[in-house]
Amino acid sequence: MKPQGGWVGKILRVDLTSGKISEQSTYDYVPRFIGGRGLGAKICWDEVPPEVGAFDPENRLILATGPIQGTLAPTSGRFMVLGKAPQTGPVESFCRSGVGGHFAPELKWAGYDAVVIQGKAPKPVYLWITDHKAEILDAARLWGLDTYRTQQMIWKLHGPKTRVMVIGRAGETMSRIACILTDTGDASGQGGFGGVMGSKNLKAVAVRGTGTVNVARPKDLMEITHHVQKLFSRKSLRSDPYQPEEKNFKYNIWGGGYGRGSLSLLPGELLDLCNNPSSGYSQTPDGCFACPVSCRSRVKGPDITPGVAFCAQSYMYLESMVHQPEKGYSKVTWQAAKLADLYGINAYELMAIIPWLSDCFRGKLITEEDVGLPMKEVGSWDFIDKLLHKIANREGIGDLLAEGGQRAAARLGGKAEKLSHMYYPRAGKFAGYREHWVYLGGFPTGYAVPQLALMWVLDNRDALVSHSYISTLWGAAFAVGQNALTAVPEKIIPVLKPVMKAAYGSAEAAEFVQPDGKNLNWKWAAPVVKRYHEHSLLKDSYILCDILFPFLFNANTPDHVGDPTLESRIFSAVTGMEMNVEDSYKIGEMINTLERALAARDGRTRKDDNLHDIYFEKEDAGGRKYKREDLERAKSDYYRLMGWDVKNGIPTRPALEKLGLKEVADGLEKRGIIKR
Amino acid sequence: MPQEVNRRTFLKGITVGAFGLGSVVAVGNLLEILTFPNGQKVALAKMVILADKSICSGCRVCEIVCANFNSGGRNSPSLSRIIMEKEVIGGDYQPKVCHQCADPPCLKACPVTALQVEKQRGTYARIIDERACIGCQKCIEACKQHFRPARPRYDAQMHRSVKCHLCFGEPQCVKYCPLGVLRMEKSDKGLMVGYPIIQED
Repeated sequence: MKPQGGWVGKILRVDLTSGKISEQSTYDYVPRFIGGRGLGAKICWDEVPPEVGAFDPENRLILATGPIQGTLAPTSGRFMVLGKAPQTGPVESFCRSGVGGHFAPELKWAGYDAVVIQGKAPKPVYLWITDHKAEILDAARLWGLDTYRTQQMIWKLHGPKTRVMVIGRAGETMSRIACILTDTGDASGQGGFGGVMGSKNLKAVAVRGTGTVNVARPKDLMEITHHVQKLFSRKSLRSDPYQPEEKNFKYNIWGGGYGRGSLSLLPGELLDLCNNPSSGYSQTPDGCFACPVSCRSRVKGPDITPGVAFCAQSYMYLESMVHQPEKGYSKVTWQAAKLADLYGINAYELMAIIPWLSDCFRGKLITEEDVGLPMKEVGSWDFIDKLLHKIANREGIGDLLAEGGQRAAARLGGKAEKLSHMYYPRAGKFAGYREHWVYLGGFPTGYAVPQLALMWVLDNRDALVSHSYISTLWGAAFAVGQNALTAVPEKIIPVLKPVMKAAYGSAEAAEFVQPDGKNLNWKWAAPVVKRYHEHSLLKDSYILCDILFPFLFNANTPDHVGDPTLESRIFSAVTGMEMNVEDSYKIGEMINTLERALAARDGRTRKDDNLHDIYFEKEDAGGRKYKREDLERAKSDYYRLMGWDVKNGIPTRPALEKLGLKEVADGLEKRGIIKR
Repeated sequence: MPQEVNRRTFLKGITVGAFGLGSVVAVGNLLEILTFPNGQKVALAKMVILADKSICSGCRVCEIVCANFNSGGRNSPSLSRIIMEKEVIGGDYQPKVCHQCADPPCLKACPVTALQVEKQRGTYARIIDERACIGCQKCIEACKQHFRPARPRYDAQMHRSVKCHLCFGEPQCVKYCPLGVLRMEKSDKGLMVGYPIIQED
């Protein structure tokens, strides 16, 4: 029996080589794999073997929504881009990247749960999807244009309500750090899928839908939506859209330390201008589709590129704030981030590349003549302008950097590679992603947290973007009147206890340092990380936003206990299928194992789940250290919990069969990866 | 936003302003406006939704909650009685609400009097009686003469028009708007809003 709501029932298949467009039933994959990350993993398992490289025509570019997209459900604007990722390195492997904005609902309204693109067009094309039909159209006049201009051209043709996923120059030149952008700043960055689009000669995917997504229990959905809204936000004060009308209410983003528009401009020249009503600059909250919070801001002014500001735009070019400290976050900082958006370069990767280049220059490993960049002027407009131009067009040093920071460092080798380890924590063949743990638990400024280390070694890209576990740490820090950079583990652990009990089933799991304060407590790393993976996989398969879900820390109650049942309740209301939390965790475990099997098929083993030496050498702010033997033990615990082979970290046949993944076990066996 | 100002200023001086208009007559404590050639009168709406677009985040919750609530779980903005118009790059977001016009063009255009004034709940909203509607879309055409996009929408699946009926006095878009962009304006005397005070938007 088909579910009464949620999925719209069709997957669009596009073969750019032959120009053939076909449809497939979504119910070939769902409800078993739910959608999003689960759906993408299954399609990649069936269709993208290890022999296929990320830039090969046979690679699939999958734009997958989940059951809740296009409905009233909170944060239902997100979707996932999946496929073999060029950024993962040195071995390319399956990876995912989430995007917000307004593209996903439009795709659902057009009648498709997902788009799977394969092949390579003989000349530049774009894909135009509208109510139950799709066309491959010529993009000769769009090729070479920046991301904004391309969208404007497409809006002229297909109307302003069309939503477009588009690549810029970086994607066209098949950079491994190219993003796919929609609207003014929502992008699928990590993974480098912009390059995959470029390799297929696909400039853009444009969607306009006027159809319907059915909801099985509209009343229930309204109730739960209202409940979620009340948990996370309040209406704004009219005088200040960033303040809740209710006094002392904290917007519940990441434990309450952040609020509406919290991911917007940092203090400085531009914010001052925005706060001055007569300046002509302004900043107002901006939300993805159906978002109750609006964590971003849209910024405009007479001489800046307008657009949405969130973390990537805020933190991409912090060097400019050092370069001109009196100006703080200046127009240069903003324009640098916007230039990256226009070229379609992943800003997160630049956050590693720029400091790494500076380190290399300081270490006299490169000279200004070598790279053709004003290395003495890092932080200036001149520097970023030249750097981004070179990366986007693959000129000079840009050709190397367009391969991503880690690949560039590996090519230079020696000390330059050593320096890059600071920014790219994971060792082994499946790395290539910049560190993402700048706060508590992050080196060099924060504290070591065993759970975070284990999450990092196991993930197939950067961990912690899901924010779920780390939001409890941040929340506890704010609850004791500190912030994520200053809080001391001993102070926050008592606050964490009830929270961890509700979220991970054990109050003791909160104690991530030993009572003596000298050593880390690794005992709970494996079970906490297993649950964290289940939460993340489910969230990315229903597709909810990681800024809100899973909801583990409530800043507005005395005990701060969150509610991890929200996601499955939303799913039930939309689809009409009963889903209790325990069952949903089983599905999370299944998809997690499937993703691991995908990586294992590409050659990932226990050896690739590791950190660089530097992470075991440094002491954290509390004088504690990660120890290799502890990490190895925690890895064994984790594999054992998942039913994977402890020796090599590969899922075993019994574990796969127990989760209903017999075909995966057969596939691994055929390749000799597991033995009968 | 000259229109916005006009409307607000007017609402403040509602009673004075209303009596100043020749075609408005008072019946008891209720205002009515002379509409039809045969002298039939239409009572002014007692409620209207106002939007302050300056803080709108463009999240479209208003649209989707409207469709979900009023179209039986069919989540689609093409069924929404409130419409979000966006200029994305310039960052101009405008929720377009039904003005519940004092002299409603849609109501006058309806050939089968499916368009009526809701009196049971006392909102006096201009509503479409779904049993009577024949789906001729004349109301949509009439509204389009003044307001773009037209506020009544055509529900192709049900073959009838739908329009904002203030959710029987508790508009869901106002309740669910996360930022408080939308709000209710109420008056027991009736509100002189929409056409002919605002001729177009």
